[in-house]
Amino acid sequence: MKRTAILVAALLLVLVLATSSFGAPRLTIPDASFDFGYVPQNSSISHEFWLYSEGDDSLKILKVIPG
Amino acid sequence: MEKEIIAVGDSAALEIIFSTRKYKSRVAKKPRIQTNEGPPDKYVQISADVVLRPDSTYPIVINPYKIDLSQFTEKVIKKAKFKITNVSDQELDISLKSLPRDLFEVSLPGSIKPGGTESGEIKLLNDALEKSFEKSITIQLTDADSSRFTIPIKRTVRDMTKKLGATEAPGK
Repeated sequence: MKRTAILVAALLLVLVLATSSFGAPRLTIPDASFDFGYVPQNSSISHEFWLYSEGDDSLKILKVIPG
Repeated sequence: MEKEIIAVGDSAALEIIFSTRKYKSRVAKKPRIQTNEGPPDKYVQISADVVLRPDSTYPIVINPYKIDLSQFTEKVIKKAKFKITNVSDQELDISLKSLPRDLFEVSLPGSIKPGGTESGEIKLLNDALEKSFEKSITIQLTDADSSRFTIPIKRTVRDMTKKLGATEAPGK
């Protein structure tokens, strides 16, 4: 019984390690901050940030939540 | 966001639009990005010094401080000039820090002497002639604070074909 439990635990551990090291998407943003400096009131301004997919699986952007 | 799925090794641009409304002084925002990577969310940060009197900034004054490339008749509006006056006591070099892709080209003076005024120009690319947009460019100076200034650039294009269609209709 004890042996079976250890075996199951070892199997679970292997599964967890496998899923965490393979097929994991990863987002990196090298320049994650931008200062616009002086800007007039009542204006719409914009800046583009570059997002890089550097994991082992495709990166899906699910949602961008305004700050 | 130009694409929602980014392949391994690929990249994509995320455009953050900020409306300065009636803000005063320094404002910072941190939009969060949720992905299938899971928590914690990653974020980008933007900051700006929103000014009430853009005609009295330091060390430069930009005139006009907002550029409108709108086109309401058939006459093509393709470019706009602006002037930059150096109101400091040192020569300032100017560089471009942010520019939207595929819309326009910007020409800037390399440097401006103390008290001097130089011109810059925004020129629309041919692919952007039919587009309406609200974008901006950001420049940086070589003063002690590495000051930055952002110039809002707006373009509204009235659809002339729709207008013509509307006037023809009663005659039919």
